[in-house]
Amino acid sequence: MAVESTTLANGLKVVIAPDTTAPVVTVGVYYKIGFRLEPRGRSGFAHLFEHMMFQGSANAPKMQHIKLVNSSGGVLNGSTSYDVTNYYQAVPSNALERVLWLEADRMRALKVDGENLKNQRDVVKEEVRINVMNQPYGGFPWLDMPPVAFRNWANAHNFYGDFADLDAADLSDVQAFFKTYYVPNNAVLLMLGDVKAEEGIALAEKLFGDIPAGAAPPFADSNEPPQTEERRGNVEEKFGTLPAVAIGYVIPKRRTPDWCAMALLDQALHGGRAGRIYRDLVLEKQIALEADGGIDDLFGYNGPTHMTTRILHKPEYSSEAALAAFDAVIREMRERGISADELEQLKVKWRSDYYATLEGGRGGYMPKYGLMHLLACFTLFDNQPQLVNSILDGFLAVTREEIQAVAMKYLREDQRAIVFRTPVKPDAKVAA
Amino acid sequence: MPARTAEVSRVVSNSVPELSAERAVTWPKRTKSRLSNGLEIILAEAHSIPKFHGELFFRSGNAAVADRAPGLAEMTASVVRTGTAKRASRQIEEDLRRIGADLSSSAGADTSAISFAGLSEFAEPLLSLVNELAREAVFPEAEFERERRQKLEEVKLERTQPAFLASERLRKTLFGAHPYARVSPSEEQVAAYTRPELQAVYREFYTPENALLLLVGDFDSREMLKTAEAVFRGWTGEKPETKTAAAPANPRGRRVYLIHVPGAVQTQLLAGCRAITRKHPDWVKLGLTNSLYGGAFNSRLVMNIREDKGYTYSPRSGVNALRQHGYFSISAAVRNEVVAASLTEIFYELDKLRSVPVPEAELADAQNYQSGVFSMGLATQDGLLSQLSTVALNELPDDYLETYRAKVRALTPEDLLATARKYLDSANMQIVVVGDRAHIESQAGLFGELEVYDAQGQRLE
Repeated sequence: MAVESTTLANGLKVVIAPDTTAPVVTVGVYYKIGFRLEPRGRSGFAHLFEHMMFQGSANAPKMQHIKLVNSSGGVLNGSTSYDVTNYYQAVPSNALERVLWLEADRMRALKVDGENLKNQRDVVKEEVRINVMNQPYGGFPWLDMPPVAFRNWANAHNFYGDFADLDAADLSDVQAFFKTYYVPNNAVLLMLGDVKAEEGIALAEKLFGDIPAGAAPPFADSNEPPQTEERRGNVEEKFGTLPAVAIGYVIPKRRTPDWCAMALLDQALHGGRAGRIYRDLVLEKQIALEADGGIDDLFGYNGPTHMTTRILHKPEYSSEAALAAFDAVIREMRERGISADELEQLKVKWRSDYYATLEGGRGGYMPKYGLMHLLACFTLFDNQPQLVNSILDGFLAVTREEIQAVAMKYLREDQRAIVFRTPVKPDAKVAA
Repeated sequence: MPARTAEVSRVVSNSVPELSAERAVTWPKRTKSRLSNGLEIILAEAHSIPKFHGELFFRSGNAAVADRAPGLAEMTASVVRTGTAKRASRQIEEDLRRIGADLSSSAGADTSAISFAGLSEFAEPLLSLVNELAREAVFPEAEFERERRQKLEEVKLERTQPAFLASERLRKTLFGAHPYARVSPSEEQVAAYTRPELQAVYREFYTPENALLLLVGDFDSREMLKTAEAVFRGWTGEKPETKTAAAPANPRGRRVYLIHVPGAVQTQLLAGCRAITRKHPDWVKLGLTNSLYGGAFNSRLVMNIREDKGYTYSPRSGVNALRQHGYFSISAAVRNEVVAASLTEIFYELDKLRSVPVPEAELADAQNYQSGVFSMGLATQDGLLSQLSTVALNELPDDYLETYRAKVRALTPEDLLATARKYLDSANMQIVVVGDRAHIESQAGLFGELEVYDAQGQRLE
């Protein structure tokens, strides 16, 4: 795949992957800041700030960005994760310059007021209610696990935000966060699809070239003190009647020697209905009704992270029994590893999934979302967008011995955390 | 020199760039054929990645057997993948992984389907497995029992999800005695499913005469057609006889249905009225009207109750097309204090569209949005598959994809006014609110005669 990249004088990285299959171009801007490193006392701020980026900039007042993308025939969104925040749109390619202009305008000068902030604070609270507080198993385990598993506030706090912290955020926080992290030298601009490399680079120069660079952003230390024993916690389930348990193991840093083997080990355990956890707990032993999980964002994490399994089990079994069944799967993996045939299957599936990621990856509505995400992470964390063309080789070279070795090294009780989500209204029929 | 650069940039940067010339949208050629056993097949090439996506549809779903039990086609589809005459469940899952494939089987109101995607180099073994599932599923007793228990827990869990409770009640209200009124079985109905019932559905529905095979991806159509013929030719079976249920009464007058969920910290709103099917000549008009009302981010409803007032994160409207009848609906999860205020704005925006012609500029924006998003289907294999299946399953004209944009662009403010008056039926909207009655009952009661239910569907006083 052709990938062109350059860095502008102000430090903005630009990556272009041309493909004329459809007259559509996907444009993304990634900033290297996520909720892991948001300010203390401002939990949820990185995400609230993402909302503010749609609230107006110097030459595109509130609603202009959304209106101009939609009325050009395109769709848009943004998302906040642990270590990056992204903004993206897919539009008919004749709107390329317009979209770049919009992204440049908000990178140059965000322009929001107290009214916008109050409005989006209200919107975010409803987002938290619909996704977490008013949903069965809402936030399980992605919000439940960090406070149990981690000790450093950066990794352990509520990423969606405590409402008191959201209320405390004011305009000066918004401007300070913008000035610190939303500088061109902390970002990558991506164009994928119907765009020529030289055209894209010229437009980037023209529209982003005069945005002043900022000081290199300070990043708080996200390292964890060493963990020496298993950690456990409990969370109440308000609506659902099934008991649930989640287990998270700390995984190696990305792109270290154990990383590829860990990824295939994850697939052996969590790869759908053929994965060992679903197969054993749901299909064969039939203790669990749901069992899924894995490494959340294999290419995009830049701090302590888990491989997490999420289990909803039958109420006639105790959570300890469900955990024992899970432990049996892990023990088997540690003691016997996997067969050559299983590894071969995993690699074919891995390759197939990788192609699927390149094309889509965010529902059907955002072409090339997956490719955009890979290129952004390889640029921001590795400064090597070309890894998109070679990264697959590392996964396909993993051996059985390496998989068993990472199982021994990482799937250890003293390196894991467990969260029990216990229904306050257990199933009456079973309790009787 | 730097000063001059900055000046040039500022001139460029202060005004929104114009759109450049549009590049032509060219839909790929479709190869339509019928295999020797009567199986209809449509193929389209898309060489973006070395994979292909496919779907084997059967033109019968839950509605066709609703008189036997609700959700029976869906349960049948779940068990289909758990065993064939040649392979046990575990073998099926491992074989799929061995060829890098994903597969799922499911059923909706009007269709059942086996959906799959895999590497082009393994097209033949994947199609062979699909053929096996369609012809030789054996419904192993133990697998059936396991799937039934999972379904039982699933239907219990649904009753704790506000969005499910709202849509269940709305469908009941809009479709009365018609099978479309039942979106999910009760626990008792799931417990009463039998294996022979599922096998009967399988025999009736899963036949080549009742099926449509769609394949999109990185292959040569002529070669793929030969492969499909070789794989599927031994499969036989006729079209099932299906009864068409009588049209349900269309509810008149606004009514409000409150589903009481004690302790809910938010209220799910859902309002709807009956509309049209995909085949109806007004479909494109209603689609555009919906996009302007609440179907896009920059639509009137989203601007109003999200971006202006901050009542909700998730407002949207949509036209839901079932094969025999369609309906229009509006949804939003709002904070408890603003239930009445949100409904007021929802109706204000409906009535405004019914009363005042849309300004030309806003119409043009919505037209661009509709036609741009439609063309995005071209960019991915599964996007293209979804567009082709819409055309084929609804028996739309062959040039539907090619002519859609022109149809959207031809619409006028008068067309939209007439469409809104005809289909955004604000006087007869059925309103469902799911939340804690202590906080919302008096607000909801302002919008029509109120009935209160619990999450199990029992009427409360």
